[in-house]
Amino acid sequence: MNAFPLFLYVIAGITYATHFARRNPSIGRAATTALLVGALVHTFVIGMQTMEVRHVPFANPSRAVSTFVWLLTLSYLYLELTTDERAMGVFILPVVVCLQIIPALFPGMEYADPVLDSPWFGLHVASLLFAYASFALAGVLGITYMLQFKEIKKKHLGYFYTRLPSLQVLDVMNSRAVTIGWLFLTLGVIVGAVWTMQARPLAPADPNLRAMALDDPKIFVAMLTWAIYSFAVVARRTLGWTGRRAAWLSALGFAFAMLNFLPIKYFVTTSHTFY
Amino acid sequence: MHFFLLGVSHRTAPVDLRERLDFSSRDLGAAVQSVTSRPSMTESVVLSTCNRSEIYVASSDPARARDELVSFLSGYHHVPAHVFQPHVFALEDSAAVAHLFRVAAGLDSLVVGEPQILGQVKDAFQSAADQHCVGPVLRHVFRWSFGVGKRVRTETALGEGAVSVSFAAVSLARKIFGNLQGRRVLVVGAGEISTLTAQHLRSQGVGAIVIASRTYAHAEALAADAGGVAVPWEGMLHELSSADIVVTATGSPRPIITRAQLEAAQAHRRGSPLFIIDVAVPRDVEASVGDIEQVFLYNVDDLQSIVQENLSRRAAEVERAESIVNEEVARFMAWRRSRGAVPTVVALRQRFETIRKSELQRLDGKLGPLTPDARARVDEVTRLIVEKLLVEPTEQLKALPDEETQAAYTEAVARLFRLHEHDADQTAPASPEPTPERPRDR
Repeated sequence: MNAFPLFLYVIAGITYATHFARRNPSIGRAATTALLVGALVHTFVIGMQTMEVRHVPFANPSRAVSTFVWLLTLSYLYLELTTDERAMGVFILPVVVCLQIIPALFPGMEYADPVLDSPWFGLHVASLLFAYASFALAGVLGITYMLQFKEIKKKHLGYFYTRLPSLQVLDVMNSRAVTIGWLFLTLGVIVGAVWTMQARPLAPADPNLRAMALDDPKIFVAMLTWAIYSFAVVARRTLGWTGRRAAWLSALGFAFAMLNFLPIKYFVTTSHTFY
Repeated sequence: MHFFLLGVSHRTAPVDLRERLDFSSRDLGAAVQSVTSRPSMTESVVLSTCNRSEIYVASSDPARARDELVSFLSGYHHVPAHVFQPHVFALEDSAAVAHLFRVAAGLDSLVVGEPQILGQVKDAFQSAADQHCVGPVLRHVFRWSFGVGKRVRTETALGEGAVSVSFAAVSLARKIFGNLQGRRVLVVGAGEISTLTAQHLRSQGVGAIVIASRTYAHAEALAADAGGVAVPWEGMLHELSSADIVVTATGSPRPIITRAQLEAAQAHRRGSPLFIIDVAVPRDVEASVGDIEQVFLYNVDDLQSIVQENLSRRAAEVERAESIVNEEVARFMAWRRSRGAVPTVVALRQRFETIRKSELQRLDGKLGPLTPDARARVDEVTRLIVEKLLVEPTEQLKALPDEETQAAYTEAVARLFRLHEHDADQTAPASPEPTPERPRDR
């Protein structure tokens, strides 16, 4: 079922790229419309899956990726509709499309583990997915900042200079996305810890719960990610790490977040395997 | 009715002559009224900028309009006709339409693609409209030209990129800071380019302009000119830590801002970006200052090369813009021709309607027993038959490819249906000229 939104996201991505190259406003509106339709269809898919398992589908990794893509698309659409700035679409859509391929190819089954049947768990995953969506936006904003920064600094005003929003706007949007993402990351981690404490006495034999410690690769990388973003938030305010440094940090942080979200989740983790 | 244009522009006349033929905007109203009062012209718009003085008119007799416009120009500006006649150009109908569209698109400007011209065309049209000197001919062609100007601007990059050093500096500042409102500008040394740049920045709504010069009096004079505040020379380095944009233009033989000084200032800046525009030769700012994080340093050569790049990019867009203009001229002329067929179409419809009515009347006796409802239906059916018969000829007449063919066809239609005799009291429908805007108050 995740193939339908994927198809629409591919169309939106191509349209955003055409808009970026040609800078024709009507193509831009078409791109936004395609993405809106894609998000709507995706909402429907997630709604169906929610009704099926009685909670938002995110215990299975494939479905969690789908939910993440959905949140990212909605966050991007919010950003675009509030700033009236479409140039970022061409950078966001590849992320959206690549990730959406996973749930489209491996639908996965949502396994109803009684351990997960807790509002704490829902809040934990929802906060983290939303944090990752913010970081994805921040990472893309950071990359575009660096592209344009380089052009202005080297005095070769070229392709990106004429198409991207001003450095200041990119920096402010990046700062907001990082701060919001960091808040949700913090919330997600705290809620996760609280939930583990509560769940352990209920299911003392559960291997997942027993593996939840700092030496678990997923939890370790998550803490590393948290440390990077905490530094980004603090350094901006105290050390004047704005602009290119902040952009670089947000791209690095996003790389770690994605590392945790995909390869570690699929291959190395010993905790967080609820499928 | 013809669309006719006569004028001088930077392509045909030297600047001193253009100055002598310039209409200042205060006189425009009187000028268009004076033109319109001449017998051969019914509508007029005067477009006067520093690069052109052009008079657009609607005239039934372009040859006569030409003579009258030359004598008008001569009398109005007190310039003998023989002085400017060799520099005057005159165009009519599709050539004049093409010229107006090219002007509105910025293709005929001295700096190709400059953005002000479309506004100037609109203003010229509006001030003529305010004097009631604009009728259907000029109204349609000018309104169409606004659309062409807008289309060229959105579909091509003709107007993109600054083409003067000071505008290049301002557009860079906008790309770094986004909105310039509330930004603090420090001008060091008073010179022509720094004054110009400060004025452009002021018009972009920067928050404050602070001016430092070795001679305090110079700083004060520039401050009064650009609407800023003068500070003593010693305060310059202190200002560096709070400024967003710095413009330097002193005659100093050695750099006045060094890397060490700026690094010290950066400590107080909390990573906020600094844009330095060094227009002095020899340079006022050490080149290595540009290596500092969050400092963007541009000297006059950098800006000059941006201007050159933008100019060549604009030149590359000219062809696309020209093809848009040609396409729009063709569309406009086709539309005008389709309007030219309107009188014939109207006469044809009237003729058919008259026949239908008279036949219904003739049959009135035989229709006697019908109920009013059935009668209405008969009326409806006959009306629909006439409508259907006329749809195709109407479309074909409107879509004819050129005026000659159109004249031949309308003449043929008029003869076949004897439109001349039956509608002798109405405007002649088969006129060979396109008469798109003829009022038809029937």
